Amino acid sequence: MIHAEQLTKWYGPTLAVDDVSFTVEAGSVVGFLGPNGAGKSTTIRMLTGYLPPTSGKATLAGHDLLTDPFAARRRLGYLPESTPLYPEMRVVEYLHFVGRLQGMSRQERRQRIGVVVEECGLEKVVRRTIGRLSKGNRQRCGLASTLLHDPPVLVLDEPTSGLDPRQMSQVRDLVRGMKGRRTVLLSSHLLPEVQRVCDRAVIIANGKVVADGTLDELREQAVQTAPSGGWGPVLVEVRGGVDEVKAVLRGVPAVAEFDAAEADEAGWVDAWLVPEGGADVRADAAAMLSASSLLVREIRREAPTLEEFFIRVTDAGRGDGDRDGGLVPEATSPGEIIAKGGG
Amino acid sequence: MRGMWTIARRELAALFYSPIAYVLLGLFALGAGMVFLVGFVPGQDAAMRTVFDAVVWLLVFLVPAVGMRLLSEEFARGTVERLMTLPISEAQIVAGKWLAAVCFLVVMLATLLLPVAVLEWFGDPDYGPVFTGLLGLLLVGALYAAIAVFASATTQNQVVAFMAAVFINCALTFVLFFLPQSPWVGPNAQAVMHYANLNRQYADFAKGLIDVRHFVYFVTGTVWFLYAAVKLLESRRWR
Repeated sequence: MIHAEQLTKWYGPTLAVDDVSFTVEAGSVVGFLGPNGAGKSTTIRMLTGYLPPTSGKATLAGHDLLTDPFAARRRLGYLPESTPLYPEMRVVEYLHFVGRLQGMSRQERRQRIGVVVEECGLEKVVRRTIGRLSKGNRQRCGLASTLLHDPPVLVLDEPTSGLDPRQMSQVRDLVRGMKGRRTVLLSSHLLPEVQRVCDRAVIIANGKVVADGTLDELREQAVQTAPSGGWGPVLVEVRGGVDEVKAVLRGVPAVAEFDAAEADEAGWVDAWLVPEGGADVRADAAAMLSASSLLVREIRREAPTLEEFFIRVTDAGRGDGDRDGGLVPEATSPGEIIAKGGG
Repeated sequence: MRGMWTIARRELAALFYSPIAYVLLGLFALGAGMVFLVGFVPGQDAAMRTVFDAVVWLLVFLVPAVGMRLLSEEFARGTVERLMTLPISEAQIVAGKWLAAVCFLVVMLATLLLPVAVLEWFGDPDYGPVFTGLLGLLLVGALYAAIAVFASATTQNQVVAFMAAVFINCALTFVLFFLPQSPWVGPNAQAVMHYANLNRQYADFAKGLIDVRHFVYFVTGTVWFLYAAVKLLESRRWR
């Protein structure tokens, strides 16, 4: 449905987007993920026909954005970043305006405005002036205007930025509800958002696609490409003294590093083992622990998280180790991963 | 066509939503009314010519004030991105914006019907020159509106757009009035400047004459600036 073919964009001497290719299949919701300044908006502007690519080609539902722009635009609902609207117009006036420009008849507009107003939860503010709406309602108004002509393709550029958590969640639910009915490309710099809403993610960094696949594929890729050579640390929860636990774990083979935290009030100790070369040491650890007669509550293997993977690939894409646009809080030691309860 | 009307309608509504429309209408009516009152004495011709001659100067500043926001505001608000990804061409956008300014101008010029009514009450005005004068003012305003749209397409700053439009208008009026009087200007250049002088082109309309040459001047000028505005808007995609 959405097809980017070797899209490249130079702004003067600056290369903003470098040879980006990906496809969004009909009916799927795909996340377009990347740190700020990675080239997300530029790519989206090329995909929606606002900017022509320096080279490469973008098609929507089989229509080239450059050679057949109107056919493509009629099938597109596009919400630009930060949702530009006319503050002096009423919500219903704005929807009629966009509907007219989409070539809808009065009857069609009335019918569809009723539908999208309900779908986006705008019933209470439909007669209000846009300039007086809350940020969340403004976002919904923008979204309603993109849905008005019932487009098969929806492109949303950071639709939840600037919203509070409840509003974010509402917008995400709305987008997730479109799965199967519309083809959606949702750009975001928030991984959790993409994880909640999308089946697939295209990750872009420094103008290049650095990863592309379903979330499961990306998790698999995260394991395979982890710097530890595979799986992460094994977390063990046992009841006993810290020294006792350490003494037992010292005997587990193929462990590069291990440690244990102080026991909590009930006497449970958190310990972790970092296996050598990503080996699976769970069975050995279990055997040693059961032989020691310590009470075991949990033995769990930490998978390298998507967050880590995300940071890794986007940093590699930048190539200069500059991490100012951090995506998620970075977990550096196994202890922090455990504290975050990641996995 | 439909897209153009849709744009024009929204633009007119936005204009009347802001106080600027009423301020401009008030200024215009006040200026025209004062000129009318000064000349409204017994024994004078029952004519609008002095009013028209003054109004044509007012338009130099008033029309840029109407048109300055037409595209600049779209750029500043970012709404141009939404507009340019809808199935509507740049030409339709520009034409719609211009049409809105012209419609506003018609409302503005309609206030001149009040002094005409006063003339009718006290005397027996000659309607021929009144009609041609108004027609001429509309043509002048349409050209100024095209200039304002063009200026507005160059920047996202409304003040800059206003200044640029006033600059071009002044070049077509003041500058082309004074420059040919300079001894340094040769006769050929002088002829060109006389032709390009907007007020000279308007003068016949105020007298009650309709000349095709003047029509050609205003229509080509308007079309040229609108075309330039379309090209400017299109070029935003490539910058």
